[in-house]
Amino acid sequence: MRLACPCCGERSLDEFTFLGDASVTRPDPSADDAAGAFHAYAYLRRNAAGPSDELWFHNTGCHAWLVVTRDTRTHEILGVRLAQDVALARTGNRKDVRETSA
Amino acid sequence: MPEAMLIETTPFARNKPIAVPGLVVAYRDGVTVASIAAYREKAVALSDLIEATYGVALPAPGRRVSSNAITLQWSGPGQWLAIAERGQRGGAVRDLEAELKPIVAGLAAVVDQSDARGIVAISGTRALNVLAKGVPIDLHERAFATGDVANTHASHIAITIARLDDTPTFELTMYRSYATSFTDWLRSATAEFVHTQPR
Ligand SMILES: [Zn+2]
Repeated sequence: MRLACPCCGERSLDEFTFLGDASVTRPDPSADDAAGAFHAYAYLRRNAAGPSDELWFHNTGCHAWLVVTRDTRTHEILGVRLAQDVALARTGNRKDVRETSA
Repeated sequence: MPEAMLIETTPFARNKPIAVPGLVVAYRDGVTVASIAAYREKAVALSDLIEATYGVALPAPGRRVSSNAITLQWSGPGQWLAIAERGQRGGAVRDLEAELKPIVAGLAAVVDQSDARGIVAISGTRALNVLAKGVPIDLHERAFATGDVANTHASHIAITIARLDDTPTFELTMYRSYATSFTDWLRSATAEFVHTQPR
């Protein structure tokens, strides 16, 4: 299996490390339903037979976290995006994250 | 009581030279190295400032550029490695971290890596044959041209590799503590070539 890293191009699997499900987001620990939300975040998985979003780390490459869309039935790679871009899109593209310390 | 002393040494100092026909292995010493990481949305301003100072802009992903004063090598998204000879400017000892920090203040984080990296140049007609044994990417010039740079691995040791010319010469940068493991691999990868001439 080969992954097309948006930074480095197509690379073999031995350059990457798999982390897990990329479809879950860390809940707000101060919310009223935090205990239930964290249970779901840590343990409950869809385990889809088909396209799944997964987190991969390009550990001997650019050190970027990637969201890889993989078909779990065929191992076909349907897309690779930078996890940073996925997260920024999800949070409404907050631009103040690092600039406060700059 | 004898006094404890720390003796300065280079990353590859304990490795015996590798003598193989058609291959030149040159350990690069006496360099100052600093990492540059752009703050969010500051990369363009940073690159302009670097270009105004050194005459070369920050290179695109997968590229490396050099001027007389500095080599700039892409090392990841929004990150570069700056490399220069320590004694380059009029004999004065250069320290790239100290030199770059005031220039890029507010635009990027700069951290000294001089003692954190080992750098080796591998060149010659057999360079491709040897590197192909451990480096998984295609290093042929049609895929990896002069000025190209890639983060990958050599026999599972993380390296940044750049093609400097069409001899070909490749410069490999690695974490210093892996220098001996890397040389062990290089020695076994070159063993079959020791007693034969390149065709
Ligand atoms: Zn990458």
